[in-house]
Amino acid sequence: MNFAATLGLALPIGIGLAAIGSGIGLGFMGRGAMEAMGRQPEALPKIQVAMIIGFGFIEALTIYAFVTMFFLQGKIQ
Amino acid sequence: MAAALVAVLLPRHPNAALSLAAGQILAAANFFFLTRLVKLFTGAVVAPTRTTGDWMRAKGFLVGTAKFVIVYGGAFAVLQWRGAEFLPLVAGLSMPLLALVLKSIMLAFSAGDAHSSRRATTTAAPARSSAKLAATILIAGLLALPVAVRAFAQDHGAGDAATATEVGAPLTEEPAAAEREQAEAAHTDATHAEGAHDGGEHEGGGEHLPNWVTIANDYFPDAPVVRWMHDNEYLVFAWLAGFLFLGLTWIGMRKPSPVPGQLQNAIEWIIESMEDVCGGMLGRHLHKYFPFIMAIFFYILMMNLIGIIPGLKSSTSTLDVTLALALVTFLYVQISGVINLGPLGYLDHLAGSPRDIVGFAMLPVMIPVHILGELVKPVSLSCRLFGNIFGEDTLIVVFVGVAALCLKASLVALAVPPMAGITALFMLLQTLTAIVQALIFALLTTVYLYMMLPHEAHGHEESGHAH
Repeated sequence: MNFAATLGLALPIGIGLAAIGSGIGLGFMGRGAMEAMGRQPEALPKIQVAMIIGFGFIEALTIYAFVTMFFLQGKIQ
Repeated sequence: MAAALVAVLLPRHPNAALSLAAGQILAAANFFFLTRLVKLFTGAVVAPTRTTGDWMRAKGFLVGTAKFVIVYGGAFAVLQWRGAEFLPLVAGLSMPLLALVLKSIMLAFSAGDAHSSRRATTTAAPARSSAKLAATILIAGLLALPVAVRAFAQDHGAGDAATATEVGAPLTEEPAAAEREQAEAAHTDATHAEGAHDGGEHEGGGEHLPNWVTIANDYFPDAPVVRWMHDNEYLVFAWLAGFLFLGLTWIGMRKPSPVPGQLQNAIEWIIESMEDVCGGMLGRHLHKYFPFIMAIFFYILMMNLIGIIPGLKSSTSTLDVTLALALVTFLYVQISGVINLGPLGYLDHLAGSPRDIVGFAMLPVMIPVHILGELVKPVSLSCRLFGNIFGEDTLIVVFVGVAALCLKASLVALAVPPMAGITALFMLLQTLTAIVQALIFALLTTVYLYMMLPHEAHGHEESGHAH
């Protein structure tokens, strides 16, 4: 198994793992935000802003894996 | 503009020019008949006047038939004609679409009409207009920044990535981005040779969709202006986005009236909602930082949205531009931190505000951690923006590539309708991503600024999010 084959196998799996982690994180975040919104509809804008910022942070993790894939993609020949 | 383009192309590439013109005429006819049809049917529903049903149906039938014959017949005739080149035809077809997309974006922005027009009359206009002025000046400054970063990246090359501690992390990315860009340029050059004889059909496997600059480069590879634009296409589109925004705001805010028009209303609505959001965090410091935040926001928003228009490209889908923006934000946040907290207070902040003996004992650990936390911010900001926009672009390229493949295999029925639907779906998603990413960039800037403010319950645990 050479380097390119290893990379070709590892990159998609890595992205998948990152997506699993982010998905779980986003799920927790969304659940918390939804519950908070349901409990206190009057605080909706604040919760939404915090939720979007949190989404940004969580989502960035998958994006890092994605960017790494694009950087290493050229090496699969 | 369209006529000028045709005129420019005519002497050297008569076929391409004719196809372009044919595409434009077809699209114009299509839109004309479509408007007539829609007006006919909605008019009957909205205002059922003396128009009898029979007459309306007959007229609708007439217009529909005329549309069918002229537009689709024309399309088939053009497709059958051997000299027609595919790409100019599509370009001509998409030109009226460009106006439509712009219009719909504006419409989407003024969706808050109902409640914002009532608020807009009461809020203080002068503060906002001064903020706008400052924002436009800042944008003009920002426009020059990618140039500086590019020059920086080209000067330093791949050499001294490890030397500078402060810009060390960004520098490792810069040469990579520059190299990749060069690789892309080489790629388009390679496809140019073979693309010349099969009608510029290189949307298939490429890394990005063709835009006006690459098309121009295909037709005039020798002109120095075109050459420069092709080498710096991200810069060109960044400038385009900036000037588009400047033009839009200038048109919108030229004579601000108490009862705002469509564009003014849209701009005011965006600014006011952002004011609410950022004001919740920054409080009384809002007026100092708001112009910068909004400048960043609008600039990124325009650059993101411009990629949806066929033939244009989001310049945020390269690390050069996003890194420039993130570095500007980083420097601005650090400098404002020094100004706000004072040099000693800034060091205290970096040390994690030690107040007891345990805090001072932890000093050697805390300082590197906090410095790292600060340095990671621009990397995180730029990678997030770049990754999102680039990912969306790549998705669309993949689907358009599949469509192009089917077209090549003359599976038109398989290629066009489902692929157009899927691509339109992803374009919807791209609009959403564009807005959300610009919002996230601006909001994170706000959060970073907030963390640099002198504040009682000044949460240090928040810096942990940035990793």
